[in-house]
Amino acid sequence: MGLPDLGLGVGLRTQHFRHITTKWPAMDWFEILSENFIDTGGRPMYFLDQVAERYPIVMHGVSLSVGSTDPIDFGFLDKLKALAKRVRAKWLGDHVCWTGVAGLNGHDLYPLPYTEESLRHMVSRVRTIQDYLERPLVLENPSTYLTFGVSSMPEEEFIARLAEEADCALLLDVNNVYVTCRNHDLDPVAYLAAIPADRVVQIHLAGHTDNGTHCIDTHDGRVVDAVWELYARFTARVGARATLLEWDADIPKFSVLQQEVRKAARFRNGLRKAAA
Amino acid sequence: MKPVATPSLGTLEAWMQAVVMHPEGAEAGLRSQPARRFIAPAARDPSAVVLPSKQLNSLERLEIYAHMYYARLVEVMEGEYPTVRQVLGPSAFSAACRGYIARHPSRSRLLNGLSASFPDFLARTLPRTHRHRLAVDIARIERAMEDVFDAPASTPMTAAEFAAVADRTRLWTNPALVLLKLRYPANTFMNALRRGGRPRIPRPRATRVIVFRRGFQVLRRDQEPEQFRLLQALVAGQPLAAAVRASIGRRAGSAERVAQRLRGWFAEWAGAHLFVR
Repeated sequence: MGLPDLGLGVGLRTQHFRHITTKWPAMDWFEILSENFIDTGGRPMYFLDQVAERYPIVMHGVSLSVGSTDPIDFGFLDKLKALAKRVRAKWLGDHVCWTGVAGLNGHDLYPLPYTEESLRHMVSRVRTIQDYLERPLVLENPSTYLTFGVSSMPEEEFIARLAEEADCALLLDVNNVYVTCRNHDLDPVAYLAAIPADRVVQIHLAGHTDNGTHCIDTHDGRVVDAVWELYARFTARVGARATLLEWDADIPKFSVLQQEVRKAARFRNGLRKAAA
Repeated sequence: MKPVATPSLGTLEAWMQAVVMHPEGAEAGLRSQPARRFIAPAARDPSAVVLPSKQLNSLERLEIYAHMYYARLVEVMEGEYPTVRQVLGPSAFSAACRGYIARHPSRSRLLNGLSASFPDFLARTLPRTHRHRLAVDIARIERAMEDVFDAPASTPMTAAEFAAVADRTRLWTNPALVLLKLRYPANTFMNALRRGGRPRIPRPRATRVIVFRRGFQVLRRDQEPEQFRLLQALVAGQPLAAAVRASIGRRAGSAERVAQRLRGWFAEWAGAHLFVR
């Protein structure tokens, strides 16, 4: 896709603003949650501008609602575009999902039925959005908690075909693969094998909550061993990709994030050994 | 269960939204009129639309999304209204939030404005006791703090620029400034709570509060009635002299006394960065 391997990064969170802008810690790049920096003019933008001066920034969103059957919100795209320009974003992403219809927003990542109709809808919307943004869109596999009876193909096939037909890039969230496969009684190794390597420009790692009957993508703790193993397996196949550690609830000190990033580096740099 | 005739993507999305956003949960959502309008057979058996897993049936899977919808948005509001929550209690606050979200679902891509009309909602729906009316005033202050936090940045006027101000000058006020007329001494009450005290619920007393941002710090202060009126006039765009004439009453005292008060107010406001270039 022509997008660079940025190395290892973490999400930029308000709790760490002061630490980052005074210590300037070693970190290859930061990912921002786009919506947190739109329509706000105070402290968040002040710190983001400083961080963007020193580190590469990637924008990741949760509200684009690409899969919604509502009209595309071009006003929101304008805001994303302006923010991407301001922080010189390396790329801009969101999820393979919808977040609301009839003008409402549930502020959640709702699953799509994986049908030919949904695929045509998504391909058309992704192409329109990419043309408007004048940059490739990087789409992430979501964690899902239900499947629709009308689905005619597995999620991984849907995502692979979407990437090819819409000519977009992929963000593979390995934790989401694990959570989704646990929730739907699927094999995460088979899922990963179906993801086209040449489309993946970014990887997400995160913690989740295991409720026994199902897993929830909570981003509130360390990455579990099973997810590290899947990460090692996937990177052994596709090579090193820009990798980001997500931690969005019960956010710890920055040094704890750095520990997890160092762990990711061990898997990334010794991939084949780790996988073996 | 026999699957329903293949619904379109739009129908499935509208159906799922009606189910998971229902204020009484997914089961009530499935039976609701909007959901039945989109996919009627799912009211009797949701497995006609959503497959069960080995561990969870179809309803339980829908309940995950229904629970997360309210839980996530209530959590956002807990962050925005910590003092209201303290005054009402966690359970009553959560119920108020759920009622508000059901009545005013988000129509924005962003969460900033989610609870914009929560204070008015509380004013309409809470019982008319002193505790609840105080909570409404506190909600107005905490809402203003959110708005001020997100307001555009601006550059405060310098001392030299103040020195050049003439009678007909229009002063530009900080966009990160909200003026509130309240029925209770809510700001004083909040200050006492935040200092760790256990203040009694006060009797009604009209107060005037400004909420503003200096640098990145969101601050709030009580104002005297005439001081507040003058600031209101300046925010409305009246030139300095006209604003003073409109807001200082005839009983304000001697010219010297008025000048002294004005100097004090402007010194306070300038220090608070209320006037900008």
